[in-house]
Amino acid sequence: MRFDPGSHRSSVAAEGVGDRLQRYRAASWWPTAATLVIAELGLGAALLVPITFSDPNGVDPYLARLSVASVLIALPSLFVKRLEPARPILLALAAVATTYTLLSAGPQILFDLFGSRSGSFDAQVFWASVAQALGTLLIAFAAWRTVAPQWRPSLRMRHLGLGGLAAGVIGSAVLIGLGLALPAGLLGRVALQPVALGRDFPLLGPANALQAFSQEVQFRGLLLGALERTMSPRWANVCQAAVFGLAHLAISYGGPEAPFVPITFLVGLAFGWLVRRTNSLWPAVIIHAVADIALQFGIVQGLYGF
Amino acid sequence: MGSERRRRSLAAASAVSTAIAALLLAAAPARAADAWWTPVALAGTAVTRVSAIGDTIMVRTGKGATLLSTDGGKTFATASADATLPPDNVVTVGSQRWEIGSAGRVLHVANTAVSSGSVVDPGSPDLGPGADLIAAPAALPGVVVAASTGGTVWRRGQDGDWKQALLLLPASLVQGVPRVTSIAAFTQPLSEAIYLSTDGYAVLISTDGGDDWIRAGPGLPDSVYSLSADSGRRAVYAGTSDGLFEHVLQELPAPPAYQDAALVWRWIGIGAVTLVASVVVLLAMIRLLPRRVAA
Repeated sequence: MRFDPGSHRSSVAAEGVGDRLQRYRAASWWPTAATLVIAELGLGAALLVPITFSDPNGVDPYLARLSVASVLIALPSLFVKRLEPARPILLALAAVATTYTLLSAGPQILFDLFGSRSGSFDAQVFWASVAQALGTLLIAFAAWRTVAPQWRPSLRMRHLGLGGLAAGVIGSAVLIGLGLALPAGLLGRVALQPVALGRDFPLLGPANALQAFSQEVQFRGLLLGALERTMSPRWANVCQAAVFGLAHLAISYGGPEAPFVPITFLVGLAFGWLVRRTNSLWPAVIIHAVADIALQFGIVQGLYGF
Repeated sequence: MGSERRRRSLAAASAVSTAIAALLLAAAPARAADAWWTPVALAGTAVTRVSAIGDTIMVRTGKGATLLSTDGGKTFATASADATLPPDNVVTVGSQRWEIGSAGRVLHVANTAVSSGSVVDPGSPDLGPGADLIAAPAALPGVVVAASTGGTVWRRGQDGDWKQALLLLPASLVQGVPRVTSIAAFTQPLSEAIYLSTDGYAVLISTDGGDDWIRAGPGLPDSVYSLSADSGRRAVYAGTSDGLFEHVLQELPAPPAYQDAALVWRWIGIGAVTLVASVVVLLAMIRLLPRRVAA
C-alpha cells in the first residue's frame, strides 16, 4: 500500500486516532515515514535543546553531539530485526551528520595531527572534503550491502547520459541567471575577488564539488532512494527535501537560520524531481557543485560570516 | 473514551512541541542585525564628501553646501568661503606619499623628507584620467588600494605586485554596477583595515591588503558617498544619502572562558540531552514500528 492521502481522506474522517494509527502501522510506508519523523524530532531535540544552556561559540561541540546521536540511533538498527526497515533511513541521517562533522572538524584534525605539514587551510578543507565523500560512499555501501532488497535504496549513480548532462548544464545556467537576477544585497553576491579566486579555486573548487557530491549521495541517493521504496514518489521527494531543509539548521546553528530552511527545502524538491526525472544522480551533482562554487566565490561574506 | 483521551494527549503533545520549537528558534541569536556604524549628524541630508581630523569635521552636502563642525560632529555650521576639502587622490603615510596623477597612473614618493619628486610605481595599472580614489594603510607598509574610473579596484601587495582586487557585480539584471565612491585607511598604524564605499553596496572592508573583502555595512544606508579615517579619534566617518555616520575602532570581546563548575554542568547537560534524545528515539521506533513488516 502506497501513501496517497486523497484516497484515504473520506475513510479516515470517521475513525478515531487509535484505529487510524493501527491502520497506518499496517501500511508499507509506515516504517520509513515513522522512522524519519521520530529520528528528525530526536536529532532536532539533540541539536536545539542545549542552546538553552550552552554556548555554541564556547564549549558546545554541536556537530559532534549531533553525530553521536545519529550514530547511537543508527547502530541498533544493524542488529535489531524490528528496526531493519528503518536502517537505510537511519544510515542516511548518520551519513549526513557524521560526514558533515568530519568536513567541519577536518582542518583542525589535520592541523593537530600533522602541524604545519598539513598544508594551507585550503588544502586542509580539500582533504576534509575528500574524507566527507569517502565516508559518505562507505556508509552508502554499508546501506546497500546490509539492507534487504525490498528496502535497498537506489543510488542512481550508474549512468549520466546526454540528457542528464544537458539537464545539469542547463540547470546550472538557470541557477546562475537566477542568482544574477535576484537583488545582489539579498544574496550578498556584490563582487568578485580576483586575487582570492586565483588563490583559492585550485583547491576549494574541487572541495566544493566533492561536498556537493556527498550531499547528493546522502539526500537524493540514500534518503530519496530508501523513501521511494515504500512511498509514492511525490511524498518521498517532499520528505527528503524536508530533511535537506532541516539539516541546514545545523550548518547555521550560530546564525539566523530560519531563512535557510524554506529555501533549501525548495532546492531539495527541485533536485529530487530532477534526479527522478533523469533517473540519474549526476545532473543534481553538477548543479549542486556549480551552486556551491558560485556561493564560495561569488558571495562576499558579511561581518558575522553571512 | 480511550481514543478520545489519546487524541487529546496527542493534541497537547503537538502543541507543547510546537511551542518549544518556536521558543528555541526565537531564542537563536541574530547578530547580523547589530549596527556596526552609528549615526552622528545631518540625518536626512545627503553627505557627498567628508574629511575628519580630530574634532574638526568638514562635509559637503548633496546641495553643494560646505559645513564645518569643531565639536566632533555634534553641531555643524556653514564653513567659510575659502574652506576646501583635501583631495582624495593623494595619501601620505609616514614619509611616503602615494598619488594618482592626472593621467591616471600611480605616483610614489619614497621619502618626502628627502625629495618631493615622484615616480610612476612600477607595474601600477592605468586607472584612467580623472581617477582619484586611493588609500594606503600605515599598518601594512607598501600596500596601496586604488580604483580605476571603470570601477575596478586594484591593490598593490607589500612585494610591489599590482593585481585586480575587486570587481563589483550588477545590483540586479535591470540595475547597473554600483559606483565605487571612496577608499580610506588609517594613516597611523592602528588597524590593517581598508574601507571601500559604494553607491549601492554600502561599505566593504579588507584586512589583508585587498586580497579578501567582507561586507561591513550594518547600520549604514546602501548609498555611501565618502569615507574619512581619522587616526586621532580612532574612527572612520561615512558620508551617506542619509547623513553622517561613524565607526569607532574597538577591541572585539574575548570569547567566554568557562573554567568553573558551570562548565561541568554544561557538559553533563549536553551529554544527557544527546543520550536521552537517542534513547527516546529508539524506544519510540521500537514501540511504533510493526513486528512484521509488509514488503
